[in-house]
Amino acid sequence: MKIRFWGVRGSIPAPGPETIRYGGNTSCVSVHTRSGGLVIIDMGTGLMHLGDELLAGPFGAGAGSATILLSHAHWDHIQGLGFFGPVFVPGNSFAVWGPGGSSEVLEEILEGQMDPNFSPLQTLKNFSARFDVQAMRLGVPLTAEGLTITAREHPHGATTALAFRITERGEPGEPGEASRTFVYASDVGQPTAGGPDPDAVAFYRGADVLLHDATYLPADQATRRNRGFSSYEDAAAAAVAAGVGRLVTFHYDQDYSDDDVDELVAGCRRALDGRGGAAIGLVPAREGDELEI
Amino acid sequence: MKVRFWGVRGSIPVPGRTTSRYGGNTSCVEIRPRGAPPIIIDAGTGLRRLGKALMEEAFGDGRGEASILISHTHWDHVQGLPFFSPLYRAGNRIRIFARHRDTHLEAVFSQQHGAPYFPVPLSAMEAEMSFHALTEGARFALGGATIASTRLNHPWTALAYRVDVDRAAVVYCSDTAPFTDLLLGREFMVCAPSLDRPLPPDVVAELARMRASVVALAAGADLLIYDTQFTREEYRLRPHWGHSHPDDALAIARDAGVRRLCLFHHAPMRSDDDNDAILARYRGIAAAAGDRFEVLSAYEGLELALGDA
Repeated sequence: MKIRFWGVRGSIPAPGPETIRYGGNTSCVSVHTRSGGLVIIDMGTGLMHLGDELLAGPFGAGAGSATILLSHAHWDHIQGLGFFGPVFVPGNSFAVWGPGGSSEVLEEILEGQMDPNFSPLQTLKNFSARFDVQAMRLGVPLTAEGLTITAREHPHGATTALAFRITERGEPGEPGEASRTFVYASDVGQPTAGGPDPDAVAFYRGADVLLHDATYLPADQATRRNRGFSSYEDAAAAAVAAGVGRLVTFHYDQDYSDDDVDELVAGCRRALDGRGGAAIGLVPAREGDELEI
Repeated sequence: MKVRFWGVRGSIPVPGRTTSRYGGNTSCVEIRPRGAPPIIIDAGTGLRRLGKALMEEAFGDGRGEASILISHTHWDHVQGLPFFSPLYRAGNRIRIFARHRDTHLEAVFSQQHGAPYFPVPLSAMEAEMSFHALTEGARFALGGATIASTRLNHPWTALAYRVDVDRAAVVYCSDTAPFTDLLLGREFMVCAPSLDRPLPPDVVAELARMRASVVALAAGADLLIYDTQFTREEYRLRPHWGHSHPDDALAIARDAGVRRLCLFHHAPMRSDDDNDAILARYRGIAAAAGDRFEVLSAYEGLELALGDA
């Protein structure tokens, strides 16, 4: 599968000359499967740019379909939805899976963003594409786009967010026939002490690629722990404990310049090495970059 | 007074290489009367940076006061509010003005701030906040400044504001469609309506009244900031989105006899080079028409001193 980063920033889009290299759009990642399936994870402002690219293909002709996974409904994870071109083309279809416990609750949450006080769209019902919203069931694997997807709920400040484990089965007989696994874990609030949560480590275990919240440098996280984000130390500790192949840093703080993120990434490399994770590849998420698994 | 642009973009913030000169933040303009608290128009993502700058002043010690005039509550005009640092400091006083809605303004803004969309509820803001619902056409005083307003042609309507202070006037007219082709209100239009069909006489009259009020509001202003999200050709494809184009803005500026016209609320897809080309083109058109006003295009960081600065 091929992972592509459309938005890697946390909390609020951060335009400006100082964020050009890593990008200022909020969370959105696409996963293209070997068999042509598409999974979109989170709907931050990066989603608009993914949509523009999709419109050049089958989605432009109303012949596209995709699965959308939503970690949680904070603005920076849903604010691109009203600007996602493919939902305005009749014939396209989207299956959205997210938190909320029930499909009605999740749909109501997404409706709230389209409230006429806030959006000229007024309601999700004004989308032309099919847009089915369903609550993800924890611990129950979902089969979509030929992938097996499981979700885990982790703490995120006063609320929770979902992490997703996505597995693509290998073709028998072909090189690299083993299955490949990508884990998306953004907006992860860590316990204050004692290292990574064993349940989280079990969920990440052996992933080829772990994308993990690395919002903060450790010093900044120490003063903002109640916000429910990880530092690069937390990300590195989880990656080493889970024995993953590569770690992707993600969801950079909105106030961090490109130089600050360079520092964060260098710190994360040192943290991996210092914890015995020298063999773990480090891939800083940057808008527009692709990653083949 | 000084006028400074913190967000000049419409619809959605657009970070990136192609927008870094004009800026990718959504609408936010600061008006700073001489020796008086700031009057801020709109709370798009540009408000975040303005808030950081204000924290270097009295707001950092909890002694700041600001008024925020909201043109309308569409996301690109309010999405910076939860990230406005002065709200998180006790002692600051923030007054928010917007056109009245069906629900109380505080309820509208609470919906933006609370679970499940944002971790900190409005009720937890440390600053003292107050909400003031305005009627279309409201006039009122803010310190030494006089504020006037009028209705614009936008889905679910928006307000234009005029701020008179320090012997100068600035007028903010965003978001609005031209007053010629359709009257926008509560109806949702899926597709662009035909622009060639004649309008009912009452709609023509209502649009004419609305345009006359906008021209009157902007009469003799030192600076007119105007929604020019579209080019004329783009407008014809999407007239129901409720945005205007530079040809219309020039006509309003001419009729109102303003001194400067500032193109504003740039479309998300507009690159810096596109904006340069649009500005050059309309400076040429204004010069050829013998217009006496200067044409500017808003960019983040643009600061203008007007009247007694």
